[in-house]
Amino acid sequence: MNAQSNNGYLLIFRGTDWHNGLSPEQTQKVAGDWMAWFKKLKEQGKVADGMPLEPTGKIISGKNGRVVADGPFAESKEAIGGFFYVTVGTIDEAVTIAKDCPGLAYGAKVEVRPVMEQCPLASQGAAEPQLAEAHA
Amino acid sequence: MNSTEVNKEEPQGVSELVEHLFRHEGAKMVATLTRIFGIEHLTLAEDVVQEALARALQTWPFYGAPKNPAAWIMRAARNLALDVVRREKVFREKEPEITRLVEEGNSLQDKVVFREEEIADDRLRMLFVCCHPLIPAEAQVTLALKALGGFSVGEIARAFLTTEAAIAKRLTRAKQKIRDARIPFEIPTGEQLGGRLDGVLQSLYFLFNEGYKASSGANLVREEICHEAIRLTGLLAEHAAGNVPKTHALLALMLINTARLPARQDSDGNLLLLNEQDRTRWDQAMIARGMFHLAQSAAGEEITEYHLEAGIAACHSGAKNYASTDWRRILELYDQLVEFDDSPVVALNRAVALAEVHGPQAGIEAVSASRNLTSLESYYLLYAVLGEFESRLHHAHAAAAHFRKSLQLAEIKSEQVFLAKRLEACEEEAR
Repeated sequence: MNAQSNNGYLLIFRGTDWHNGLSPEQTQKVAGDWMAWFKKLKEQGKVADGMPLEPTGKIISGKNGRVVADGPFAESKEAIGGFFYVTVGTIDEAVTIAKDCPGLAYGAKVEVRPVMEQCPLASQGAAEPQLAEAHA
Repeated sequence: MNSTEVNKEEPQGVSELVEHLFRHEGAKMVATLTRIFGIEHLTLAEDVVQEALARALQTWPFYGAPKNPAAWIMRAARNLALDVVRREKVFREKEPEITRLVEEGNSLQDKVVFREEEIADDRLRMLFVCCHPLIPAEAQVTLALKALGGFSVGEIARAFLTTEAAIAKRLTRAKQKIRDARIPFEIPTGEQLGGRLDGVLQSLYFLFNEGYKASSGANLVREEICHEAIRLTGLLAEHAAGNVPKTHALLALMLINTARLPARQDSDGNLLLLNEQDRTRWDQAMIARGMFHLAQSAAGEEITEYHLEAGIAACHSGAKNYASTDWRRILELYDQLVEFDDSPVVALNRAVALAEVHGPQAGIEAVSASRNLTSLESYYLLYAVLGEFESRLHHAHAAAAHFRKSLQLAEIKSEQVFLAKRLEACEEEAR
């Protein structure tokens, strides 16, 4: 794993049931803390985007992509609740940000994943038109 | 989710959210959904609201709080309720009502989602259910805090110095009782109303005292309980069913006493006696509200304990300092109060007022003359009061003995610190 990334990091929030058992008061506090955290990172220019995810959607599988099922039904402790795309240069900085996540205190987890330097898909996409030209 | 539908405003910090928004809006929604689902499905209503709050928690941090957070929560809860109703067969016949409600709410957009009166009615129905005479007194208060106040099981357990399991069990039993006894979700009318209203007032008084009797720095929930009691009593006082002089008297006593809470401890959370308190920290606006309701309470013929206690609180709050307190008037009020309530705690309070008027020796005599004193044997305040009287008479040995006993019985840290300080001073004097 690279300690540095020019393409930033994805902070993936895992756990979708950690708010169970919190009082409305505590829930409100976490929501407020989280908003303040996101706002601060935006002001510092460290986060490019972030989205929450609906708890379930569709899972597509099968060799021909014909199996479409409701899901995921992963254990809710591991389920992805949302993500931040942070644009810092080193994994240490990304980890430092992740450590401030207000959900941690209640059992949420944050996964930090560097975005790959060179996207093979992007380079393939760029290469194909050339091939097409060569054949023409 | 289609991202173009989302209003992507700059996220707001916690300071911009209304204080206690989730708790208060959530509790209102629980009452309304309970009316729709039926009281036997109270837990379901609570779960739906909890889920709505969780939705807010998941989306607000990313997109920012909506312009009208209360309406947002209401709408989320309504839509979730609709899901539940469509899923559960039991509710098949209720689907049209819920659908109507959702459509009504959505057409009103972010303005007033439900009419305030409608919400108030639902909350009062819930209050009458929670305070139903078939439910034991302790459980009434627990249920009211959970269903009407939006407190969590953990918070209630901490406030009552008990375990979460004990509170959860109490709630389960109370809800079972509601189902078994088929307690209706309604505001009683006609002849029933008077008796039931007395019960509700008594429960609210009990609820208030639970919060008031020992508010310590480590336990802020207790102060919140006082405010919840005020909120619920205020709701009752504004409604035709509860707008009677004694409701105003109860509200007055709550307001005037709560106004003095901020001065009751120093910055380290240590208890301060009335004569040590910084009276500028008393909440004058709240006292004024209390005085307004005290005036309202004088309308009828009837005088209740609430009137007398509110009168006593008013005497204290009207005094510029301890020395100028009108102890004679307070003693008169206590003399009347013991006629209503022969509890040893009231007798003890009366003895304190008596000692201010006629001296500490008279106070000691009044305490020993009071009936059923034995039930106070393990009450720390009895010894704290006796210690204070003896100390004023410069009987340092006797005073120290009382404070020592009181210290052994006190359960709350700020009280223990206070008593230890008094004990030390007396021991020093005795040397």
